[in-house]
Amino acid sequence: MKDWLGLHDFIFYRTRELTSFMFEDTFLESSSTDIAFFLYVLLTCLTTFAGIMLSMFMILWIERKFYARVNDRRGATTALRSLWVGENGVTAGEWWNMIPFGLGKPIGAINGWLNKVAGNSGHQHEMVNRVGNRSWYGVTIFPGFFQNIADGMKFLMKEHMVPSRADKVIFELAPFLVISSTVMILGMIPLSSGIYGANPELSVLFAFAIFGIAPLGVFFAGWSSNNKYTLLGGIRSAAQLTAYEIPLLLSILGVCIMAGSFNFLEIVHFQHSSGTWLFFLMPLGAVLFLVSMIAEVERIPFDMPEAEAELVEGWWTEYGGMRFGLLFAAEYMRVYAASILFAHFFLGGWHAPFAGTIGQIPYLGDAWLAIPGVIWTLLKAWFIFTVVFVWARTALPRIRTDQILEFGWRMLLPLAVLQVVLSLVYRLVFFDASTLSDTVAGGWTWDLTIAGVNIPWGLPIITTVFWLAVFMIMMKDEYIEENEERMFHVRTMTPAGTHTAGQE
Amino acid sequence: MGTTITKEQNTEAANAAVENLTARFSDAGVTSEVVAHTGGKKYDFVRITCKPEQWVAVAKHLRHELGVNHCAMITGTHFPEGSAERGWEVAYHLHRWPIMNVKPHTMMVHEGEKLAGDLIPMEFEVFIPLPAGDSPSVPSIQDIWEGADWNEKETWDLVGIDFSGHVNMHRVLNPHDSPAGFHPLQKQHKIRYHDFNEMYDDPQGYARKPVDEGRVK
Amino acid sequence: MAEMWITMGPQHPMTHGLWTLRVKVDGETVTDTEAELGYIHRGVEKICEARDFTQITPYCDRLCYVSAMTWSHSYVMAAEDLLEAEVPERAEYIRLMAAELQRLASHLMWLGAFGPDIGNLTLMTWCLRDREMFLDLLQELGGSRMHYNYQRIGGVKRDIPIGWADRMKAKIKLFEHRINEYEMLLDESTIWLVRLQGVGYATAEDQINAGVTGPNIRAAGVNTDARWTNPYSVYDQVDWEPAVEKPTSVKGADCYDRYRVRMEEMRQSCKMLLDAIEKIPGGSNTHYQPEDEMILTKAPSRAPEGATGFSTYECTRGVSNFYLQGGGEGRGKHPYRVSIRSPMFITIPYVAKTMIGYKVADIPAIMGSFDPCIGETDR
Repeated sequence: MKDWLGLHDFIFYRTRELTSFMFEDTFLESSSTDIAFFLYVLLTCLTTFAGIMLSMFMILWIERKFYARVNDRRGATTALRSLWVGENGVTAGEWWNMIPFGLGKPIGAINGWLNKVAGNSGHQHEMVNRVGNRSWYGVTIFPGFFQNIADGMKFLMKEHMVPSRADKVIFELAPFLVISSTVMILGMIPLSSGIYGANPELSVLFAFAIFGIAPLGVFFAGWSSNNKYTLLGGIRSAAQLTAYEIPLLLSILGVCIMAGSFNFLEIVHFQHSSGTWLFFLMPLGAVLFLVSMIAEVERIPFDMPEAEAELVEGWWTEYGGMRFGLLFAAEYMRVYAASILFAHFFLGGWHAPFAGTIGQIPYLGDAWLAIPGVIWTLLKAWFIFTVVFVWARTALPRIRTDQILEFGWRMLLPLAVLQVVLSLVYRLVFFDASTLSDTVAGGWTWDLTIAGVNIPWGLPIITTVFWLAVFMIMMKDEYIEENEERMFHVRTMTPAGTHTAGQE
Repeated sequence: MGTTITKEQNTEAANAAVENLTARFSDAGVTSEVVAHTGGKKYDFVRITCKPEQWVAVAKHLRHELGVNHCAMITGTHFPEGSAERGWEVAYHLHRWPIMNVKPHTMMVHEGEKLAGDLIPMEFEVFIPLPAGDSPSVPSIQDIWEGADWNEKETWDLVGIDFSGHVNMHRVLNPHDSPAGFHPLQKQHKIRYHDFNEMYDDPQGYARKPVDEGRVK
Repeated sequence: MAEMWITMGPQHPMTHGLWTLRVKVDGETVTDTEAELGYIHRGVEKICEARDFTQITPYCDRLCYVSAMTWSHSYVMAAEDLLEAEVPERAEYIRLMAAELQRLASHLMWLGAFGPDIGNLTLMTWCLRDREMFLDLLQELGGSRMHYNYQRIGGVKRDIPIGWADRMKAKIKLFEHRINEYEMLLDESTIWLVRLQGVGYATAEDQINAGVTGPNIRAAGVNTDARWTNPYSVYDQVDWEPAVEKPTSVKGADCYDRYRVRMEEMRQSCKMLLDAIEKIPGGSNTHYQPEDEMILTKAPSRAPEGATGFSTYECTRGVSNFYLQGGGEGRGKHPYRVSIRSPMFITIPYVAKTMIGYKVADIPAIMGSFDPCIGETDR
């Protein structure tokens, strides 16, 4: 279903009109369509890029605030509530009471319940507030939002240094590779069906080909800095990124097989026209994609290449000033790209959830459907970012490089292959092109008919329940009885590291 | 509670150790006695005084026969005003702790009061007075207790007592390029800024001139 | 890739202090190590030869700055041995409580540094916030958050304030829940276990031979704790048990065991504190004036020539000894020789050897799990 905010077509036609109007009866008349094309490409790319970069500040702000609140132990509700209120006691109060017709009461109830279950109790607040004397700055609505702009300006003012015995050409080239490849992807990724930079037929393939250039830049940076630490970091990074490219690409392959196309727009469209989001049809693939993406963008728990405990900053130690700033920004751009990609591949992109059901409610439905698709994309991307990327970062330690590699090659790769096989099976056996539909309600491709009874969304339900059950069973701890022998209760009995010691 | 070593155990162990040492070494002139701490719980410990030539034998006896398994501290002291026989002194502090025969993958929970014989913890203090002079020397016990290794390095580094037979002696607390023969804890080296007045005078030395001033470069 | 020497330190986020660890790596595997200490050598032993016995206590606070109460307690015990001073029982109880609070604060600092070494940056904030609770208590006692100068020869400087006992009990009760939270966060995390188990094996025999003491050797299954082997203060009257860990593997104690020992030690310290505050003679809500004989007895200030004093003390990181010789300048007011044994001075070379055979990424894990503090190492 095409999003009503069709900026792309708008720009396309308006530029044509504009140029044909401007260059009528001039010597440029014959090339007015070419000029129009140039303008159209320029404007669409600029719009997409500006949209992504401006909304990226949201990501940085969420990470800062959520991370800080989890660290502060102020509890789950304060973490979410304080995203848009200030620290140091400046709050919006119980804003839900001000919603008319008492519609905010459920929010208040949920907030109270969350506080009881996961928040701090009275005197604990004392402990926490004892050291919470930090000041805040920024607009009252979004405190801390403009911190990152200030950071960017600070980086511009720092010194550019090239180590004296570094390989200058490669040293200068490496950040260029990393940053430019990241930015190029942003041109391929659509924000909605009407906002995108370019839409070749095999856009997914192209995007991930470019995505894979970054490891090369990382290795160049690590090697050319003439520093043993960066060398170690660069090599670790090269190994890790190469290892996780494959499960990543295989899980995307699974997505493309299901959707039947290598094109972003068509994949998202498929999720709508077939009736379910791909997350419920291939949860294994979704999880694989997320884990591989966390490893690809080198975030904790996979940030061994830049592990500050041993390597100071890993492969980007020697870079100063805006080079470092852009590399740092490029890491967040990749994280953001990963979140948006997950939203497109698995969460239905710019489609509103339950569009068919909610769309039928008299006034709410129209409002629901009137929300532009770009807002849905961004909301889903931010949600995934908060729940997966930031939360994993706060709670988990780093995994060691050889353990990361072992995990990638020996566990993720077979699972990814399994996912491809499953996608093939689903597509060949359960898919019927006649069940696709372009209406607001979508199609009914994955309904199952068992013994004459039609179960709507049967296949996704069964798939999700199955993988959930597998997950629960694997989470159970088998060694509980053996652990009772230990003086102090712990969880595992045998050393979990493999091939760790030279004495093995 | 209930696990602490009692006074009776401690006295018994100290007496037993001294008996053992006296029986073995008293005719060689090695004195060993039970001394009580004068502070805290006033428990007993064993004090041994011997000559440097006898030290290795005593050390081996302590290690293997009495089960002394921990070399805690090696202290060197310089007595410029001491007698001719005691111009320097090396004090070894050794401990015996109940960890013999630890089986792997087990945990030994001692009930202190039930320990007996050689398992009762005991402190041993060995004094080796060295004759006055410029080159005090004591045989090294690096191969008897591994913990003596860095202790000996530190004592040589700070006090200047030579440990003969010590492998890989090097400066450990002072910078590696300190001048040979510079051992700061010897008494002829005085501390600057002894009193607070001097400290306030010129602590960073801004008023002093650099060492190579006036030299033609 | 050929073998190369990497220098970690002296300025390095991992090293927990100012020292250099040079490692020779073959790819990612460590093949040889060399530890270089002495960067914070301040000459404390020499300085103390020119100070009165009371003036030395602040120096001992600064030996291991993270664990100041225990070091000054250790020194003051040796000075009391030298000067033949008595300590009233109430002062012993107060000293015990101060030492155990300091042990909690020091272990929290350790955990707060260890977590980020492994990668869990959240732990730093959590541990330091909880440590604030104990720093506040110690500040009420000693006047400052880190270097208290609290113990005196013959007692303590001032009594526990009114209301301190209730505050302490409330904070300890809260903290016991917090330890559960830490264990939930860490022990149930496969990544934490995978990073720490199987890494940094150290057998009990090797450690005793090398002179390693404290939680590091208790993690190897050896139950030695100077608080019961060489008893001092009132540890025999308070309800506690030494925290010993049965190592997971026959190869010795790994980093995980050392981590678990310290968690359990924190629990034991909480137990000791709650017990001591009930048993303290004179009541927990009375405040005696400074220099009242309930908390301080007048000690002689001169030590005759030939007198010696020696203390064996269980510091947070191992067994620390002070050896004092009397008869110094000022007609005996200054000690002739002060000798300090720091547990970490012996452990760090041992740890440098333990790291051989593991990966570069294991270096912070192993180093951090032994809990180095360079202030006491270099004196």
